[in-house]
Amino acid sequence: MSPETSPQSVLLLRLAGPMQSWGDRSSFNRRETRPEPTKSGLVGLLAAALGRPRGADLTDLAGLRCGVRVDQPGTVLRDYHTASDYRGVPLLQAGVSAKGVQKPTSPAKPTHVTHRFYLQDAVFVASLAGDPEFVASLADAVRRPAFPLALGRRSCTPTQPLVLDVRPGALEAELTSEPWHAARHARQVYRRRQGGTVAEVDLPATFDDEDGTDVVNDLPLSFNVRDRRYSTRRVRHTWLTVPTGETTVGGAAAASSHDPFALLGW
Amino acid sequence: MIVTSARTYIDLHVLHTVPPANLNRDDNGDPKEAFFGGVRRSRVSSQAWKRATRAFFAEHNPDGDRAMRTKKIAEQLTRRLAERASLDTETAARIATSALQPLDIKPGKKAGETAYLLFFGHAQLDAVIDLFVDDVAELCELGDEDLAARLKDLPVQQTLNQGHPLDVGLFGRMVADIPALNVDAATQVAHALSTHAVELEMDYYTAVDDKQVDSTGAGMIGTVGFNSATFYRYATVGLHQLETNLADPAAARDGIRLFTEAFARSMPTGKENAFAHHTRPTLVAAVIRGDQPVSLVSAFEKPVASTSGIAATSARRLAEEHSRSVAQWGDNPLFTGVCHTLDPDSPEAGKVGEAFGDNRTFAELLDAVQAHLPAVQEVA
Repeated sequence: MSPETSPQSVLLLRLAGPMQSWGDRSSFNRRETRPEPTKSGLVGLLAAALGRPRGADLTDLAGLRCGVRVDQPGTVLRDYHTASDYRGVPLLQAGVSAKGVQKPTSPAKPTHVTHRFYLQDAVFVASLAGDPEFVASLADAVRRPAFPLALGRRSCTPTQPLVLDVRPGALEAELTSEPWHAARHARQVYRRRQGGTVAEVDLPATFDDEDGTDVVNDLPLSFNVRDRRYSTRRVRHTWLTVPTGETTVGGAAAASSHDPFALLGW
Repeated sequence: MIVTSARTYIDLHVLHTVPPANLNRDDNGDPKEAFFGGVRRSRVSSQAWKRATRAFFAEHNPDGDRAMRTKKIAEQLTRRLAERASLDTETAARIATSALQPLDIKPGKKAGETAYLLFFGHAQLDAVIDLFVDDVAELCELGDEDLAARLKDLPVQQTLNQGHPLDVGLFGRMVADIPALNVDAATQVAHALSTHAVELEMDYYTAVDDKQVDSTGAGMIGTVGFNSATFYRYATVGLHQLETNLADPAAARDGIRLFTEAFARSMPTGKENAFAHHTRPTLVAAVIRGDQPVSLVSAFEKPVASTSGIAATSARRLAEEHSRSVAQWGDNPLFTGVCHTLDPDSPEAGKVGEAFGDNRTFAELLDAVQAHLPAVQEVA
């Protein structure tokens, strides 16, 4: 089943919010984030929108072809996080008693320390391609979600609009024609660097691709709490030349000027 | 699954100004921060404010640990048992009553009701049934006394005592070893962010040794990090999810009220003795939506300038963002209400009025939210 032969629809999602976190190998007390949304994160978001319980079948969602564009990379935030019971009760351990009740830690441990990593001030455009009817139903679900949606972690609320559009077409073409979604301050930095307004910007993107050069381990098979499983997928990293949505005002000449501070984002 | 109403989200938008304070510290002891809109902001983690909210519950509902809301635990247990074990109601009722007997819950005036309201989540009731469901066939054969003796030693009370049901219904519960006790949270709380750029301030302090009279100098020196900020705080509650979690639509409606009050009024206690940051919100807006939760944090992506009254400007920005978002997306909320302490004659108050309606007292806002929640519909 070549994705190119059957008619496809593309769902474009804008993933923006003050904080996001896209973990792919986090376990225990250090919860890291990938620099861009993971497929498991996207599938999880859609499954939540559809109201699928944990452990539900994900084959259809995982089967969508996905592409992610980095409109504004953001920076990494490390959050020092402690957990304790506000009643002063010792934390529970993982083990259970013969009665199936969780035992308290012994010696009593009142505080648990974890490190959580987030992306702050980032904006992505994610796109998912698949059967037109299914993709349209996903867009509806995201507009009327069964569970509150989140950008990788529950506390990372998305800002609107989340659904940009549903279009017939090819994944990469639609992601390339969609204008840049960077915030005001990021545009200012870019304009300053370019010496004026420019019509286009080059953005990094990652696509599902069977012939891709990179392998990532974020294809979800099950979100069942007791049986969380992931598989690998092949991806291709590339750059897209995307319209900025602004008209050119003599930018081209200025763009060639030497600006060593641009690297520092000044 | 019991879902008696369609999807309903209650969005809470709170603007809350705190004086110099250190509500939520990182591992250097400094207030947490995040970048948003290209500038540094003060941040209070969602976990910190949720903890404050739960502590508020505990303080204001001292019996909340195990007592609230349903007189019909026996009936609920019966219904679930009958369904799980395919029993007729009468047999299920007999077993359920026996199982609850060791708890010594006082019976109420009406048959099958307890004398007081008990607040239990459905996951807890399921866990009780788990204790004996495998032996149901055998239990049906037993006489009343044998049945009571058989069920007497089961850890029913322990099972029902675990967790705080409203807490659990709202904030969820994760028990790694017992997935049956897991509950998906009905609330989603965002990290609180300042609406404006914030720089970390350092308070250099010296402490004098009262008994050190023969020499000069400090007994101790140090620094404390702090900042002051007007926070935008956002939370949303899924009424339908809370109903599912609590298996009691009326309790879910009361839960929304309690959560709204606790979320708006609570304050993290970090360094409260050093800074006494006991403030109330400048503005609390509640928006009931039938489609999706909408965070208005974009209103502050461009940071509010610090020269012109941050709280009032933030309120205006919030109102404009709400109006713009509704106009742009055409998704009218089912209800909006607001309680604020802005100057009633100011243009900011006018904007807030246009967006969220007339100013109400907080108690009126709570009543209005509850009154506008969709009515409970019985679904077969």
